[in-house]
Amino acid sequence: MADVDEDAIKAPANASTEPDVDLSDETQDFRFLNHLNFFADASPGIPRRGEKDFEPNPTELQADVLSASRGAMHNALSYPRLHNTKTRVVAFYAPDGYVPPVKTDRATPKTGGEDEKSSESTPKPPRPLPNSARISPDACVYVPNPKGQFFKTMGQADSLSRVWLLPEEALYLIERGNGLAHLGPPAGPGEEDLSVPMSLQAAYACFMGHGGLTLERYSVYTGLKRLGYALLRAPGWCDDLVKEDADASYATETTPPTLHGPGLAGILGSLFNWIHDPRSTASTATGPIIGTGIHRNYMDIYRKLAIIPWYDPITAPERHPADTTPPFRVVFHVFKPSTPFKKSAPPTPDFRVAVVSTRDQTTMPTMTQLGALLESTPLDPPARGENGPLRHGYRNVVMAVVDQGVVSYLRVADSAFGKEKLYENKGGPQGPKWNRNQKPRKR
Amino acid sequence: MATPVTSMDKPVAAKSGPASDARPPRAPRPPRPNFRQIHQFPLPVNVHHVPSVIPHNPLSLISVALSYLTFLISPPRQEVYSAYFDKATSSIHVTDERSIKALWQMGFFGKGSLSRSEPSWLAREKKRRGLHDGKTSEEITRLRRTERRELKLERARMEKLAIEERLKAEAAARESGASEPLDQDAQSTTDDTTNVTATATEKFSLKKAREARALEARQARELAAQNAALGEQNQTETSNGKSVRFSPVVQKKEFPSTSPSSLQLPDAVVDSPDLDDFPNEEHLQLSNEEAFFLGYSLGALQIYDAPLKSGEVQATSPITTSALLQQFCNHSFQPARDSSASLQPDDPFMISYTVYHHFRSLGWVIRSGVKFGTDYLLYNRGPVFSHAEFAVIIIPSYSHPYWSETEERKNYTAEKQARSWWWMHCVSRVQAQVLKSLVVCYVEVPPPAASIDDIGALFGQYKVREFLIKRWIPNRTRD
Repeated sequence: MADVDEDAIKAPANASTEPDVDLSDETQDFRFLNHLNFFADASPGIPRRGEKDFEPNPTELQADVLSASRGAMHNALSYPRLHNTKTRVVAFYAPDGYVPPVKTDRATPKTGGEDEKSSESTPKPPRPLPNSARISPDACVYVPNPKGQFFKTMGQADSLSRVWLLPEEALYLIERGNGLAHLGPPAGPGEEDLSVPMSLQAAYACFMGHGGLTLERYSVYTGLKRLGYALLRAPGWCDDLVKEDADASYATETTPPTLHGPGLAGILGSLFNWIHDPRSTASTATGPIIGTGIHRNYMDIYRKLAIIPWYDPITAPERHPADTTPPFRVVFHVFKPSTPFKKSAPPTPDFRVAVVSTRDQTTMPTMTQLGALLESTPLDPPARGENGPLRHGYRNVVMAVVDQGVVSYLRVADSAFGKEKLYENKGGPQGPKWNRNQKPRKR
Repeated sequence: MATPVTSMDKPVAAKSGPASDARPPRAPRPPRPNFRQIHQFPLPVNVHHVPSVIPHNPLSLISVALSYLTFLISPPRQEVYSAYFDKATSSIHVTDERSIKALWQMGFFGKGSLSRSEPSWLAREKKRRGLHDGKTSEEITRLRRTERRELKLERARMEKLAIEERLKAEAAARESGASEPLDQDAQSTTDDTTNVTATATEKFSLKKAREARALEARQARELAAQNAALGEQNQTETSNGKSVRFSPVVQKKEFPSTSPSSLQLPDAVVDSPDLDDFPNEEHLQLSNEEAFFLGYSLGALQIYDAPLKSGEVQATSPITTSALLQQFCNHSFQPARDSSASLQPDDPFMISYTVYHHFRSLGWVIRSGVKFGTDYLLYNRGPVFSHAEFAVIIIPSYSHPYWSETEERKNYTAEKQARSWWWMHCVSRVQAQVLKSLVVCYVEVPPPAASIDDIGALFGQYKVREFLIKRWIPNRTRD
């Protein structure tokens, strides 16, 4: 849907490449495709799908429906896909990466200031942007004449207002049919154009593996990008990440397990507690932990029972991404389509994604690996009064588990059950009632 | 006709609200027991509240002193239940009826050996012999399943009928020689999706089948109503008929079905009433973790080696806590480890008990999650109040430097910690299907301890960390 929306704004004539409807993996009834108007500039909405047959039956009706569905699919696929020269973006492949232009006065890149942020948001910057410091050394494709929606979230401009694209960004544009990369330098004034357009195969061959881009990372990138998310590389992209300095704020030393022990009893309570005090008979060595005697209330019993140390995400120190082990490391910062996004000053990411290939890393992370991954993300505690503080967690990260091109995303959150003491709930637990009007849950 | 009944019915159910209200929302439904009253104590430990002192009220001081005196003169005794360890099943059996009731009602410990969870065999048996009415949860489930199966059969029958009719129509069209109508039909399928799906693919959903049956039943009843007055019955059955919504999630709903057909239980034969007292064949079965928690943490359970005979009460002394721990650790392997073996810090029992104790000490009712392919389920307050919210799987973690000292230990721990992604996806998809949140609980295993004398210190070395893992669907988080 994202593509349909985007293209509808930008270039309605070019929007025919893919009817990106939320279809699941099953065989589809493709007849709905006949009713899709690819040229409609209004959002078409999700088409209705037909009813599903579970098994073949000898009726001709079913056979007809099936062949009609097949025909509709072929019809949709046979639609000529054209590139509009007006919207075509021409890029050039520079395998050596970004080289600062020598002919300009400002060869040394200036650090980005406040003034160019405003001009950044316009797709066609009128003047050179001295923010080439942000161009990644992995960038290998540049676009001399950037135009269109895509450059709002992709690429970085240099002082010649050429936009430098990372390999995954270039590949995404080429694959979508929005961009065309050329091998070789562009023709100068008066010269004959000798550059050759790159085929998709060539693009894959050149960009895959360039600057740490793996097929798994690209699958995640392109999948999320097509849904409308904006993605940026995270600091953890490079596997050989090193800590710049031994910053004091990143204390690697783990705090000793804190025991969240019994609270204070009331003064009067303690006055009367000396008789039959269960504490005097309490023993964690041989039990019973709570002691034998008169117990005043269940709260005290539960407090005494707390002998198992648990991990507290609040007191845990934040760690540097370099402390994580490579597959379990945040490589993408993901921004929702609704988040106002500025290339020059990216907002706080909505999601942090680590990409794991199941063929290289066949097992789930160990606690050390997963813990380090989570601790490298900032604290994101559940909002006060939020309904499910346990479900939200104190830190969270998305693991994209890629198995031979099939991506499954898992959201991992530090939930810290120990911080939500159920027994302290006044008036008993508030869980879903045994009520048939409510959402059903299996017992 | 049925719809207004339902809409009237809903506010009633909403008003009844909390579980304490035992007013039945429907006539045929037996009054629900007051679970809030029955299960008011979260643990099988007696608690005696001391009246609070109000400074400006001297009378309150008297009441405090009085209660204090009462405790001094006759200290209330803490009930200690007894059970025995069964080596064959490696579980703890409680046979005393009072203990069974207490352990179930206060904290939902154990399960009935002949029941789904609550020991209800006796009630079912009495019901079967016609001595007792009311329904146990097993029966409710069975009725519901029977009805559902019948409806599925009905749906299949209707679908078959539709196909046959269609075939007949097609054959008739072919015989009439004109292939045009069929072609037109095919043409229309290509052209108009909605039309085709609406008319031609005539499917009978469960709901339709249910409605058809309700209609049949109603017609039959109306016929009968002419002979005998069955108005009330009619009303109830209609409302029941509508409340059954056959969405795909219907099997998750717990409701008693009272459809006329399933009410006629075949075995509702009344036996002679002199069979009133027959022995309860059922016992309560505690898992080792539950038993150890009751014994070691609460001091509410004494565990013996062999079943107590009815005559002798204190023939043998109960197993000591440290011996019990050793025994449970040995029995956490299948087959049980040799009893002379020493306790290892990563014995399955040590790890599972750590998790069990951790969640119990936070106030959760923690029960086995074997039905859902997990280690534990976490109930808020108890299974009779709400469905489990969380499903817990346990993974040991060997992050202590001791475990990576030698190559041998490294290999050992790597094998112990390994969980494949496929397994993970299986577990997480199943939990999503049953609407539970998956908690992956890592337990940090300490190096082997010098002695196991201080059990509290032993468990204090473990550390628990929970991760909530949920499938992330990028399509649904776009805004």
